[in-house]
This record gives sequence, structure tokens and C-alpha cells, in this order.
Amino acid sequence: MNNIFKFSFGILTTLAFAWLAFVVGANLQYGDLSPEAENLEDDDSREPDAELFPKDMPGLAKQGAEEYLALGCVSCHTQQVRLFTTKDSEGKSIVEGGMDVERGWGKRASMARDYVLQDHVMLGNTRIGPDLANFGMTEKDNDWLHRHLFEPQSLVPDSICPPSPFLYEVSDDPRDGSIAIPSHEDHGDERQKSRYVVPSIRANRIVAYLKALKQDYELPELPFVQAKEEKSDTNATETKGIPDWIRYPVPSSALEDLSSQMSAGKEVYTKIGPGGGGCVTCHQPTGLGLPIAFPPLAGSDWVKGDKERLIKISLFGLTGEIEVNGVKFNGAMPAPGIPLGSLTDQQIADVLTFVRNSWGNSASAVSPSEVSEVRASIKDRAPTQMWTAAELTSHSKPAQ
Amino acid sequence: MTEEKETPEESPVASDEEMVKVHAELHREKPPPTMGFLHAPLVFVFLFGCLVFFCSIQLANSTNKFQLHPPEDLVKLSPEEKAALKLERKAESGKKIFAIRCASCHQLNGQGLPNMFPPLAGSEWATSDPGLITKIILNGLKGKIEVKGETWGLVPAQNMIPVPISDREIANVTTYVRQAWGNSASEITEQQVSDFRAESSGQTEQWTGEQLRALYPSGISDK
Amino acid sequence: MKDTAEQVIDRSAKTVVSFFVASAGLWLLAAALLAYVAAAKLTDPFFLSSCEFLTYGKVKVAQANAFVYGWGGNSIFAATLWILARLSQVEVRGRVMLLFSGVLWNLAISFGLLGILDGHMNAHEMLEMPTVVWPVLFISYAIIAFLALVIHRSRKHNDTIAPQWFILASLIWFPALFLIAWNGLEINPARGTLPSVLSLWFGQSLIWLWLTPMALGAAYYIIPTILGRAIDKYYLAIFGFWCIAALAPWSVVHHLEGGPVPMWIPAIGTVMSIAMIFPIAVASTNFHATAFKDIDKVWNNLPLRFVIFGTISYTLSSYIGVIFSLPDVAKLTQFSIINEFHFNQRVYGFFSMIIFGVVYHMLPHITGKEISKGAKSFHFWTSAFGVLILLLAYLIGGLTHGVLAQQPSLDWSSSVISSVQPYFKITKYAFIILGFSQLVFVINVWKVIFPNPFACCLASSSERKGKTA
Repeated sequence: MNNIFKFSFGILTTLAFAWLAFVVGANLQYGDLSPEAENLEDDDSREPDAELFPKDMPGLAKQGAEEYLALGCVSCHTQQVRLFTTKDSEGKSIVEGGMDVERGWGKRASMARDYVLQDHVMLGNTRIGPDLANFGMTEKDNDWLHRHLFEPQSLVPDSICPPSPFLYEVSDDPRDGSIAIPSHEDHGDERQKSRYVVPSIRANRIVAYLKALKQDYELPELPFVQAKEEKSDTNATETKGIPDWIRYPVPSSALEDLSSQMSAGKEVYTKIGPGGGGCVTCHQPTGLGLPIAFPPLAGSDWVKGDKERLIKISLFGLTGEIEVNGVKFNGAMPAPGIPLGSLTDQQIADVLTFVRNSWGNSASAVSPSEVSEVRASIKDRAPTQMWTAAELTSHSKPAQ
Repeated sequence: MTEEKETPEESPVASDEEMVKVHAELHREKPPPTMGFLHAPLVFVFLFGCLVFFCSIQLANSTNKFQLHPPEDLVKLSPEEKAALKLERKAESGKKIFAIRCASCHQLNGQGLPNMFPPLAGSEWATSDPGLITKIILNGLKGKIEVKGETWGLVPAQNMIPVPISDREIANVTTYVRQAWGNSASEITEQQVSDFRAESSGQTEQWTGEQLRALYPSGISDK
Repeated sequence: MKDTAEQVIDRSAKTVVSFFVASAGLWLLAAALLAYVAAAKLTDPFFLSSCEFLTYGKVKVAQANAFVYGWGGNSIFAATLWILARLSQVEVRGRVMLLFSGVLWNLAISFGLLGILDGHMNAHEMLEMPTVVWPVLFISYAIIAFLALVIHRSRKHNDTIAPQWFILASLIWFPALFLIAWNGLEINPARGTLPSVLSLWFGQSLIWLWLTPMALGAAYYIIPTILGRAIDKYYLAIFGFWCIAALAPWSVVHHLEGGPVPMWIPAIGTVMSIAMIFPIAVASTNFHATAFKDIDKVWNNLPLRFVIFGTISYTLSSYIGVIFSLPDVAKLTQFSIINEFHFNQRVYGFFSMIIFGVVYHMLPHITGKEISKGAKSFHFWTSAFGVLILLLAYLIGGLTHGVLAQQPSLDWSSSVISSVQPYFKITKYAFIILGFSQLVFVINVWKVIFPNPFACCLASSSERKGKTA
């Protein structure tokens, strides 16, 4: 103890043991983990076209991670779903669902492999806010996220998450690309009137990052945990011999409808040829149309507004002067489809749902039955007779 | 409190030099072998032993044998479970391929388009012999055919072109088609597809309905 | 009367130690202010919400860094230099270098904290300061540590005693930890969750291997010095020391229980935390067996009262910490604000209280001026009260938080977090009390260091010239 060198050697050795284990040892053990596919082959080989998980985040999301880090979000939000195992009566290890999964913060516990592609791993250690490891799976849309970032209390009145108004440009009137903030009365007068915010690029990055946070795939080392309610009805779990603690991620049917409508609608919108609508030629992939010639769909009340009017246009086309987003256009749009007017109810519903929910639009979905109702109501109209804007705006007048 | 004097230097060992000496002395001379020595350290040694024992047990139980991944029996599947999951993954992959390659004509719901593209749901062209659907995908199909009592393929624009995808993808998408929308036909394996590809290697053009009916008389019943 | 050797040592240490104590005091106030802002933000999310520099996350991190590196670092330097010089019976040398490094250290922390508030935070626990200031921190620390080791090497007696072991260990462990973290996080960064394991290990080890041994060493020095009696059962001290050295670096990773790392990492951490019962028992036996032989003196001597408050708090809270590291309990409380309890009991209830005692004991010696007893007493009671309120609020609030969070049926913000809200309010008031009490401490200290406030700069600079000449 009296020789400082021996003493230092001693205390550094004790430290070195822990370092060897937690840093060097852990690095040797799993420093080279890489994305992996679910392994179902008998000989442990990977299927040739198997998808590897985790996937890399989009670039915008990676920038969002930097913003998330800089704002210190990690102080209140963890990004880890915990794994707790226990033994069942036969001595087999089983996953305790645990409250993280039951709370809907994930379908399974987070594994080391989930993080190998992240530049900044922010596991966090305090949950004053909810866990965000799987926040991208909650299907919140961009507007919701922006509203929540701008002022969480406008959506969740009891939230103590601090607002981030400095990421937004605020105004009293709606503007291009602005998002309306719901008014609420709990926190001061200025919040009682409706406000409109335009997100900055930083806000967009953060939103992209939050949407990219998801561990919605199974890994060879850990499958999804079966949801709890399935314990109660035992007969429902007997599907094709799949064990009842493992469950493929089937989104709720409504969401599945919407997302399949969106993807099918996108195909109709962009496809130029049989079965497609060819909309993209005029209205452009951006939904902004072309100045003077073709009106925009993004932000247009014609698109976001009355469904019936929109369906009518999709069935028969539109001609003459029309004002969209404050600009007048004068052209003609034939009934979409190749051949003209050949789109089915389903396709029209899909493509309308797509345009009503793209490029910042957010409106209700259109169902095939709504299309067929409208189609039936105007079945006597001559197939080549395009609508005029005036005809459509006079609501009360029966379309004939 | 008032009578308190903050004068540490009055105390006997307050001088640092002395303190070092006293403690160094205490340290050098091991505690005397008296009852005191027997008492305290023995209790300590006993407690320490218990602690070490308890900790080792805990360590052995909770470290999961120093493995990287959670216990293996968490993920161990029986062969049947594995097969079922494999089939499900196959259908998932097939669904994606279908959406990209097929749904523009046959539609996501497999109903086709009236008067243009025949349905797959409930069609025996899709659900009967594995060779039939596979070969149609491999080489395409032209001319008039009958599906579910209706005649299709009246104009050349509605002919089906060959779909240029791998055996594996064909196996996945056909399996999906044969088991989706109420269809319940057998799975098609990659091996089967490659056999069919070899069989139909002589066919350079799109099939016609007659050719296929000749090849698979049992598969297509209604005329 | 005092022998002149000690007076000479005290005089040699005066400028340097005064500098470190004075700047430590300023950091303490800065940390108190930040702590209040953070606590206020939890009770009212709109408090300062439009100011991007003061988001909750940034303030929280800046507060921890200001507290540990600013207050902790500076006060550790002051106490280390003085206690080592006293025990070695040699003068403090290299005063210009010490002052220079001290200024560097404080500048580095200032820039680091501004960097955090400006949004250049790192994702590493207790190393959030931007990477550019790390070399400066390391170099200035290395110089100070080297000069402290020089003092120790030139000691008059070859024998070393418990306070020296602990203080030297703290002195040596910090740069070792820092280099390990630097290497693993920035120079050769690993992928995935490995940096998280390392940064958690560093952040917790910083408390266990830097602040804790320093405070234990100071307590081992102050208690016998003031009581004038040798440490009781002193032969156990060496055992306690090596137990901490061997176990503490392993014990801290139990915070990863259930996390995305191999299961053995938290498992070892848990086991070693349980084994920590032993060194804690040793230290507490040493301190309390000695102190309770002369309980009157403990009560009447304010520096000692601070130190004993710290050691009692150390014992109790460490045992509570052991309980919370048991897997079944950790499952409940792991991500709750019980973490704040652990941090604050260690840095406020234990480390800071002991350092307050050391400073009150040290300053009259080196400056020759007494601090008013009433002011010290006021500081003690407000501190003790504030710390107790704070820790109780975090403890009960943490349990509430943890238990309610385990009920998936409860809505997160309207049921779980709003039940913890009252405790956030209490901590806000506790931080006000603590901030007030620390203001008293800083005034006490500055009054002694700069007796004439209007000429303080003038006086200190002329004194410095006189001393260094």
C-alpha cells in the first residue's frame, strides 16, 4: 500500500478486469452482429431472397436522430423493450410478456441486433415519457406528430412533454403546407384560438426519425410475443399449427385495407396503360399539377372536400374553368382510365383514397361501395359528357 | 451549542503527523489475538462466506450461460411449427410479388376485371394442377379461354405475357394465389417450378388454351 | 499552538485551494439554478418552453455535468490537494501550474455546458459534453493529478493510511475511466448497444470510483482529526477499500436489466451490487463506531456533523440501492425516477455533505478566518432538510412511478405520470430550499476567501503575487 506504483497497479488491475469483461469481452462477443433474416431452414442456411433485419434508416431519419439527441429527448424517453424470461413448470424458458409489450410498446423485446445500424443508440434510462423503440409502428401520421412536437398538450391534455415551438413557424392563418393546431383551453389564452404551423426542416427530420423507429420484424433469437388477450379464447389460436406464443404481425383489418388501398391507389395513379388511371401524366408525381395547364391535387379542396363531387369527376371527367387553391385553370380532363372511363369502383376508390391522403392531404378513405352508389345515381348520364365546375358546385341540383 | 468550541487542534491525535503514525501503527500490528479478534472477524468471515455463496448461486442462475442471445428454448420450434411458419412466410412473399407483378390486371382481390382480365379467385386454372398455373406464368397465355363459365381473351391486348421471375418467386406467388381469396390448393415448391420450366423449355410462344387443355385434361373441366 | 509546519502547508495551499473552493461554489450555484429549471419544467411544460437552449433534456444533462464536473471536480481538487499535503507533511508545489490547470478545467466545463445547451450533446452518460472539450478536461486533470501525486511521493513518512488510499484511488481511477470511455466511444467506437453499455458503465463508475472514494477518504480523514481518536476497527478499512476496488466497477451495470444486451452483463452487475453490502458495512462500521463514541462532539462540531450526515446517508442509501438492484425490484423501478434518487443521494446526500464538512474544516485553517457558526448551522439545517425532502420525494415518487407504469391498463400521461406529478412539485420546492442553502454556503465561503468584497480582485491578485514570489 505504501508504494504508489504497486498501489496504482493494484487498483488499475481491479478496474481492468471489469473493463475486460464489459468492454473487450462484450465487443468480442457481439461487436460484429449484423442484420439477419429469420431462420427457418433446417440446416441453418439463409434463404437466398430473405429480407435482412434490421434495415437501415432513411437519410432524413438519421439526421432526425441527431436532432433528437441534441434536444435531449433521451432524458425522458427510453428506446428499449425489456426482456424478462421465466421458467414454466417443465423447466422450459418462456418470455414473460411484461408490461412493455402489453402496453403496446412493441411486439417483442428489443435485442442487441436491432441497434447495429444506428449511429446514435439512445437506450435511455428513465421513462417520464413512453418508450419510443417502436414508435414508428403506432401509425401516427405526420400531422399528428408535428402537432405533438409543436405542442403535445393540444393532443394529449395531461402531457408534461415540453412543447417545441422553436421548430415551427406559427401563424394565425392557414398557409401552404401549414398544419392546424387544435385549440385547447387548459394552458393560457393564446392557445384558445386555432393556430397554423409550418414545420421547419428540423421538425421534418425528427418526425422522419420517429417514424423510422420500429422493430417490426422477428429475429432468429427472439420471436414476437403473443398478445395477451389471446390467452382467454384458446380456440382462436389454433391457426395452421403455429404455436400460440408466436404471431405474425397482422395489422388490424382497417389499417390493412387503408394501406392496401393506398398502394393500389398509387399504382392506379401512376400506371399509364390498361388497369391504370394515368393521372400522373397531368397531375404529376408530386400531385402539384403543372402551372396554368393542370391544377394541383395537393391541398386542393376539390380533392380533400366532398367525396361525391370527387367521385363524379373520376367517373366522367371535368371540363371548363375551375378555381383550385386560388388559381384559375381552364382545360379538360377526360374520365380517367385506359381505355377512358374503364376504372372499376375499387380502382376509383383506391386512387381517390390515395390522392386524398398524399402530399400532405389527409382526408377520409373512399370505399368502393360509395363509388358504386354515385355511379348508380348518375347511370343515365352519357359516358362522354364531362362535368363542369359550375354543375358540380351547385350542390342541391341533382346531377342529370 | 454555545459552549461548543471548534478547536480540533486541541485533540490528542489532531496533528496529521500523529494521525498517520497512529493509524499506520494500527495497520501494521494485526489486531491482537483476543476475544475481540475472534468475534468480529469471524462473524465477518462467516457473513462474507454466505454472501459469496449466495452470489455464486445467483450468478450461475441468471447469466444465461454467458450466451449472447436469450435462452434457446425460447425460439426452438418443432418441425411442424417450422413448416407452418415457412408456409406463412412464403405466402407473405408471394403476396408482395403478386401486388407488384399481377395485381394490375388480376387485381389485389384476385377478381380480375370484368370483360378484360379473368379472375383467379375460385378459378380452376389457378387451383387445379400445379403445372398449369406455373406454365402460364412461365410462358404466358394467349387466345380465348374459359374461366368460371365466361369467355376471356377476346382481343390480343388482353393476352398474358410471360412473367420474368425466378423459380423461387414463382413458387411463392403461385402458392399465395392457390391459397388466397378462399382458394385452397396445394403448395408449390421451388423444385416443382424448376421441373416445369425444364418440361416447357420447348415452348417458345405463349400457350393457348387448347394446348394447356391437352396437357392437363383433368385440370380444366368445363368447356 | 499549531506547529509551524502545518501553518506553512496551509499557507502554501491557500491560493490554490481557495481558487478551487470558490469556483466549486459557483458551479454549485449554477447547478442549483439548472436543477430548479429542470424541476420547474416537469411541473409546467410551458415554463421557458419557447427557449430552445433550455429544453428539459438539455437542462437536465447540463445540471448533472455542472454538478459532477464543476462542483465535484473543483471540490475534489481542493480537498485532495489539502488533505494529501497535510498527511504528507509537505507544501503544495507547482501552484502556478495548478491554478492554470484549474482555469483550464473550468473553461472546458463552461464551454462543454454551453455546447450542450447549444445542441452539441453526445449520447454518452456523463460524457455529454462535446468531444472537443474532452482533451482539455483530460490534460488539465492530468496536470493536477500529477502534482497531487508529487505531493504524495515526497511525503515525510513512508506509511500511508486509509484517507490516502481512497483519495489516491479516486485520483487515479478517474483518468483511467476517462481514457477507457474515450477510446471506446470516440476513438474506436463499437456498433449497436456496446457504446451504451460502456457509457452506462462510465457514468455510474464515475460516481462510484471518483466521487465516492474521494468522499470516503475525506470522511476517514475528518472524523479522527476532529474527534481526536483513532478509527475504530481500523484493520477493516483496508478490506473495505479493496472490496470497493474489486466490486464497484462490476456492480454498476445492473441498470441494464432486461435491456438489449447479453443477459450476463446485468446479471453480473446485480450480483456484484449485492456483494457491495460488504464494503458498505465496513465503511459504516469504521465511521459510526468511531463517531458514536463521542456523539456530543459530533453534534456540536459542524464540519463533523456534515460529514456524519454524509456517512449515514451513504450507508442507508447504499443499502437501499442494493435492494433496488435485486432483479424483481429492478423490474418495477428500473426506468422510474428512482434513478434520480440514486443520483441525488450519492451526489447531494453523501458526496456534497461530506465536502461541505471538509470545506468548513479546511477554510479556517488555510485562511485563518472563522466562518460564522450561525451561518454554518443554517446551511446544515436547510441542506439536511432539503436533501431529505428531495430524496423522499424521489423515493416515494419513484416507487409510485414504477408500480403504476407496470399496469398496462393505465393511460400513460393521464394516470401514470399525473400520479407522479405531486412528487415533481415537491422536488421543485426541495431544489429551491437546496439552492437557497447552497447560496448561504457560497456566501460563507466567499466571505472567508475574499474578506473584502469590494477589493477582492485586487486583494487576491496581490496575495497571489506575494505567495508565488
